Amino acid sequence: MLLGHPGNRPHHPPLPGHRCHAPGRACAQDAGGGLVCLSSKGTVLPPSAGSPLFREQAVSPTSLAWRKRFCGLQRSPAELLAVRTRDRKVPQRSHGQKDFVPDGSEEQAERLRRCREEHWQLLAEERVERLGSLVKAEWKPNEGLVELKSPAGKFWHTMGFTDHGKQCLLPEEALYLLECGSIQLFYRNLPLSIQEAYETLLSQSTVSLLQYQVFSHLKRLGYIVLRFHPSVVPSWYERQLNLDSHCKSSGKHHRKRRRSSSPRVLDKKQKALGDPLEAEETLEKASEGQREPSHQASDGSCLSGKSKESDTGIETGDSVQVPAEITQHSASPSQCQDKAGDSSNAAEESYDGALSSRWDFSRIIFPNMASDHPCTFLPQPDKRLLPENVAVQEVDATRWRQLINQKHEKLSQKEQEQRERESRYKNSINADKEVRHCSNWQEYKLLLKQRRQQRAWRRPAHLWDQAVTPLVKPDEVASSAAVLQQISVLQPSHILDGASWLQEDTKDMKIDFDVYQADAVATFKKNDPGKPYARMCVRRFDEQIPSLRAVKQLAYQSQDVPVVFALVDNGDVTFYSFKEFKLPVDVYH
Amino acid sequence: MLRIHVLAGQALVWRFEDAREIRERHRLVGTLVGALARTPRQNVRLGLPLQLLPEEARLLAEMGAAVLVRSADAQPQGQSAQASEGQLYEQGLEESYQEQRRLAAQERWAQLANLAECIAQGRARKQQQRGKLPDTAPLPGPTEEQEHLESAFVFPHESMMVQLPTVWPCPGQEEQVDWTQPSRDWPHAGHQEHETRYCVFRDLWGRGYYVTSGSKFGGDFLVYPGDPMRFHAHYIALCCPPGAPLPLCDIVAAARLGTSVKKTVLLCSAGEDGVVIYTSLQWSGLQ
Repeated sequence: MLLGHPGNRPHHPPLPGHRCHAPGRACAQDAGGGLVCLSSKGTVLPPSAGSPLFREQAVSPTSLAWRKRFCGLQRSPAELLAVRTRDRKVPQRSHGQKDFVPDGSEEQAERLRRCREEHWQLLAEERVERLGSLVKAEWKPNEGLVELKSPAGKFWHTMGFTDHGKQCLLPEEALYLLECGSIQLFYRNLPLSIQEAYETLLSQSTVSLLQYQVFSHLKRLGYIVLRFHPSVVPSWYERQLNLDSHCKSSGKHHRKRRRSSSPRVLDKKQKALGDPLEAEETLEKASEGQREPSHQASDGSCLSGKSKESDTGIETGDSVQVPAEITQHSASPSQCQDKAGDSSNAAEESYDGALSSRWDFSRIIFPNMASDHPCTFLPQPDKRLLPENVAVQEVDATRWRQLINQKHEKLSQKEQEQRERESRYKNSINADKEVRHCSNWQEYKLLLKQRRQQRAWRRPAHLWDQAVTPLVKPDEVASSAAVLQQISVLQPSHILDGASWLQEDTKDMKIDFDVYQADAVATFKKNDPGKPYARMCVRRFDEQIPSLRAVKQLAYQSQDVPVVFALVDNGDVTFYSFKEFKLPVDVYH
Repeated sequence: MLRIHVLAGQALVWRFEDAREIRERHRLVGTLVGALARTPRQNVRLGLPLQLLPEEARLLAEMGAAVLVRSADAQPQGQSAQASEGQLYEQGLEESYQEQRRLAAQERWAQLANLAECIAQGRARKQQQRGKLPDTAPLPGPTEEQEHLESAFVFPHESMMVQLPTVWPCPGQEEQVDWTQPSRDWPHAGHQEHETRYCVFRDLWGRGYYVTSGSKFGGDFLVYPGDPMRFHAHYIALCCPPGAPLPLCDIVAAARLGTSVKKTVLLCSAGEDGVVIYTSLQWSGLQ
């Protein structure tokens, strides 16, 4: 072991010089191999050679065998201790501006040599850590996981998971921590070197080398990176209903992210809920909205079936409000249900009736209980209309009617404003006198037919019966933008248009990671990470650009989180993503 | 003989001596993809392993300077073999601990010796403050602390330094990979694209340039007149299969890019006989 005076630079890389604690002293190695410090006065102060603390051990056969097995690549204990005083800073890269052309000059050669020396010196350094700060971990190839044998350190805040009471890490997390010098990875009772760890932990079944390169790149930048699980993404529909926050607050366990390496079975329920979404029928939404609160166990399979059927038999476009109002009553707590169960039951049954058309509506009475009709007596309904175990008597509803509508409805400020705004352009259907005159659906439909015919009379034959017809009618459009919209060739489209109809293919691109921002570390909870900042799809740089179909599928999988493509080109990672933009409309309206 | 370890089609070099030789003797650069041992949590400077382009690895193998290896599936050792290996490791660790303890004790002893004067002065000052008469000048020889060092010195196991080695210690469990045949570990052999790129790469390298991957500038390779540490790239090389049509839009895009980064775009094409033809694009005036 060579130790230099603090003033000299050691000529042999990479061992840094021993830094003496007081300046002006010289350190040297004495004949016995011990460390001796000479004071400035020149007196030698040797350690007491007899004490066991300072007695030097002879090199034992074990350590020889050990060094032979590790091919002399292990550092000696003295070198290991010397690492404690190693410089922690990384020097600059290129020592000044780069040159344009090599001109064979001495200066250039010298600068290049210095750059290279530094480079190799940095690369030759090994990772040496205090044993107390290393967490012991063991690689379990059967499960594809790394199990921690000693308590985890600070990294446990954002990485790892608990499996049957044991702390575990995913292979890419373990490899990253090994490279950082936070853990010691054991396999078959021996510690793995970085090379061995790369070769055993990175395989097709767990995580590939490309994915690991992107993972470690992002982790080094400070992001929190988790594996992507498609079934945990709340669909657009669920978020519309605030189902995800409801589940979080009630602590439902199916929301918890399970970290098993085996692929999760896709939750069929989530898929079924998501399907009816894409159809733009407001009626479907209303019917689903009705079903959801009333059925506690959200049994999605019957949902999609019913919603498709409810289409038939009900006029679209006009009577959207009506079923929604029935909804409110049927979903409300069951206080009035046993008293005035008729109307709500009848309403529900009317829905079923629409589906199966077993009911003859000309014979079934729908009593009007509204405040403008003083109907208070409810006769006993026909037994055939009721379910089997329900017995209903006739009811005098006077007392009940006095109890309801006691409170004057107080609208909040927001609701009042909304009402005012809507009253400017929205017309209630019942405000029309002619509609009020109709006493049943038949008459109403007749009225609509009449109105349609009237409109048709205003179409002159010389304009509308030719091959070329007018583009717009004077009362249909209010601005030039609307006119231009009619003749536009390019229609704006959104990335998610038609995305739900795409069939899934096993060869498709998959999202690999969820990325959370670094400043969220303080509030990050592993069990409930929240919405990620971006989702990563790892690809090779020399592959084809993804087709629109692939991009749509990925966007659909990811819902509202942007998808970023991480392209790896022989170790260099670059990030690309598709961004939405709107074509500008050239008309001021 | 340099060893290039193949992992899923990527060529990695793990020993820093090999990396040094590859760069200094063979003029091949590669990319560092691991964490730097000194500061692992940053992306500016990375450390080993060095990842080589498939063309670089093939060139070294063709020259006979390197051999492509992959790790063989280790035979499952018996329980006793595993246990004995584990014991050997534990013993080695214990010995290292003892040695480190001894060295640390010596350091502490030396430190105390150096500070003997300061300690004595401090003690004298304190005694003065308390009003007692100061002692006589400190005697030469070991001080109190040094004498009590043996009993007072604490060096627990947790304080010892342990190395996390980078390189696989045992070279015996490796198999050679034939780079001429496509396999799961080396799928590049035989692909037309790889052949074209390799022809161009070898030609440029043979002319004395340093050639690295060029995806940063939209090309296949970046061509440097000297070591990339000290020089800027001169050319962006784009490999075109011979006879394939090249859309004009691509040419314009490449030329624009080259102009804006002050590099010349080279369209390279390898003919049947292996001769590579270069066409350079440069922004010029009307003539």
